[in-house]
Amino acid sequence: MESTSRTLEVTVISGENLRTNRKPVKKNAFVVIQTDSNKVCTTKMDADGGSYPSWNEKLVVDVPMHERFITVEVQCKTSGGNKTVGVARIPISDFVGGHVPQSYLHFLSYRLRDNKGERNGIINISVKAKVPEYASCSGTGMGVPLGDNNFGGVVTGIPIWCTNTGRF
Amino acid sequence: MGNCCSDEAGGRTAVGGTAASMGNLNNAPNDAVGHFLKSRGHALFSQIELSYSASDLRDRDVLSKSDPMVIVYTKGRDGVLEELGRTEVVLNSLNPKWITKHTITYQFHIVQTLVFHVYDVDTQFHNVDVKMLKLEEQQFLGEGSGVLSQIITKSDRSLTLDLVHREESMGSNRARNLGKLTVHAEECISSKTTMEMIFRCSDLESKDLFSRSGPFLVISKVVESGIQIPVCKTEVIKGDLKPTWKPVFLNIQQVGSKDNPLVIECFNFNSSGKHDLIGEVRKSLADLEKLHSSGQGENLFLPTSVGHNYQNKVLKSQLFVDKFSQSTKHSFLDYLAGGCEMNFMVAIDFTASNGNPRLPDSLHYIDHSGRLNAYQRAIVEVGEVLQFYDSDKRFPAWGFGARPIDGPVSHCFNLNGSSHHSEVEGIQGIMMAYTSALLNVSLAGPTLFGPVISNAALIASHSLANSGRKYFVLLIITDGVVTDLQETKDALVKASDLPLSILIVGVGGADFKEMEILDADKGERLESSTGRVASRDIVQFVPFRDVQSGEISVVQALLAELPTQFLTYMRTREIQPIS
Repeated sequence: MESTSRTLEVTVISGENLRTNRKPVKKNAFVVIQTDSNKVCTTKMDADGGSYPSWNEKLVVDVPMHERFITVEVQCKTSGGNKTVGVARIPISDFVGGHVPQSYLHFLSYRLRDNKGERNGIINISVKAKVPEYASCSGTGMGVPLGDNNFGGVVTGIPIWCTNTGRF
Repeated sequence: MGNCCSDEAGGRTAVGGTAASMGNLNNAPNDAVGHFLKSRGHALFSQIELSYSASDLRDRDVLSKSDPMVIVYTKGRDGVLEELGRTEVVLNSLNPKWITKHTITYQFHIVQTLVFHVYDVDTQFHNVDVKMLKLEEQQFLGEGSGVLSQIITKSDRSLTLDLVHREESMGSNRARNLGKLTVHAEECISSKTTMEMIFRCSDLESKDLFSRSGPFLVISKVVESGIQIPVCKTEVIKGDLKPTWKPVFLNIQQVGSKDNPLVIECFNFNSSGKHDLIGEVRKSLADLEKLHSSGQGENLFLPTSVGHNYQNKVLKSQLFVDKFSQSTKHSFLDYLAGGCEMNFMVAIDFTASNGNPRLPDSLHYIDHSGRLNAYQRAIVEVGEVLQFYDSDKRFPAWGFGARPIDGPVSHCFNLNGSSHHSEVEGIQGIMMAYTSALLNVSLAGPTLFGPVISNAALIASHSLANSGRKYFVLLIITDGVVTDLQETKDALVKASDLPLSILIVGVGGADFKEMEILDADKGERLESSTGRVASRDIVQFVPFRDVQSGEISVVQALLAELPTQFLTYMRTREIQPIS
């Protein structure tokens, strides 16, 4: 059984130091998560949090298997309509693949960039990939690393993992 | 104020060191408190109660059985014993259970050696206070020693010691059975009990006519001398005369007891730092609990002095407790007893800037008189603390920045020379692998941390994949400034999502200013080249200068934050200790 999309549970936790036009966001920030195929999920607005909003809202996002990014955008409702505060484009490989179990709860933070590409605040999320039941009992969850998982292309040359697994 | 000093990551990053601030982790951030606690350091201290029992003690009395008593000592780094306390004398028993218990403060970053002496107290002294007993007049039944962290990492928190003769009489090889002493350690419940409270005020008077007011609360405990010591503080709520503050978390240990008087002051925030007192309330935690259940408000008062008379002006403003809940959080020690481990890994800098190891001015010079070089000292000082939290005591050990036997420069090679496995046995194993590596590799460069951090992260990932309940601590010892700063940051940002903490110790006289960037305590959160940000602080850096003997070294002080980092990891993921 081959599934054509993966289901992610994304908990949008909080934002830090959010600004619009160099001024701190006053209120009503919310988060939109978008896949490259334009599926959209939105959190509620945080009316009180100002430039340090907290949402703690879980969104379930279906991402087609071939897609490699999701986009997290912080917007702010103002009298002049919804404004973009900042965007983070998040590689799926940050929480899928790699060597941790598939259903590992990842806590991740990203720098937001505004429409001009300038640095804005930080968004904190947690992500858990929903593992289909037939795969959940497969134990180690050793996946094939997706995308560029190396650190600056440095070759370490020592196959540590295959000798260490016996230890745990 | 308030948010300006926060790095709470939605309440995910620990906001301080005491167990109280930990109550905060899964909830809304409480940054004002966080800032306050940060200023007091992060060390974890926990009160431990020791109790004792013994079996098969020697019978020294002719007509009846022995009348045993235990004396407990703490043994300093200099080997000097200091008495912690004595138990009562149990009459006529070779398998006594003592009632007297002793309390000791557990400190993660120190090896706390305990020595137990068991005496048979002669009948003629039974009316004498145990503290007054002259020990040379009593019969010695045996002694044993253990390390506190050894006791608390046992699943039943009990350590059984074979009693032995006094050291001076050890010469004879009579292995006589002197019985066994069992020491049990229990964490005091007050270390774990946390109150969560939501405060609200009504009818605050606007003091500031020209700007909007910004009220906040400061909660202080009153100590015996009458001095007020602030324990926590809320955020400032702007322009609100009936504010509700975010939840406040208080630990029983922080305030002493539920009946200790607390002063709750309501201030109006002033950016000059001179906040105006609006009014205050004096209540213990127990009073606040009653206030909550009654649903009533308590009037604030303003202490005013008229000449020599103190009068309290009662205000219209009232304080309400909208929530009062008491909870017990799992402590660091609960996780240890539940089978969680801390595993130690080490990586050593073999770059050429250390100097030729054969020459005495090299940082890698091995002095055969036994004097340890800075690398060896750092290994021993961190290792001797952490080894007790690692059950198999097999430590991965790497070197970086050198050419192993005519190969190309490696930025992560196994210290033991093996091409297959990096693990060595015990601290002694690290020391031996280190000295032999010095003979077998030629120092080179540059200084790259990325590869060793990635390898440590890989081990941590594999442990997770095998459902390990382990937390890893990588010690990197280096003499110079890192060349691959961005790669190091990238590796650290990735590792912040794993059960891993990294200690970096700088040896030698280099300027380590750049290294401080890696330690988020001292600057901004680490950011990778792709815009990912470290989700928590996992790095600590310290330059290792000469340390006076007998003192806690800077390196050990560095360990103090590990329990907090461990708990942050476990609690945000709602990982429960197995009981």
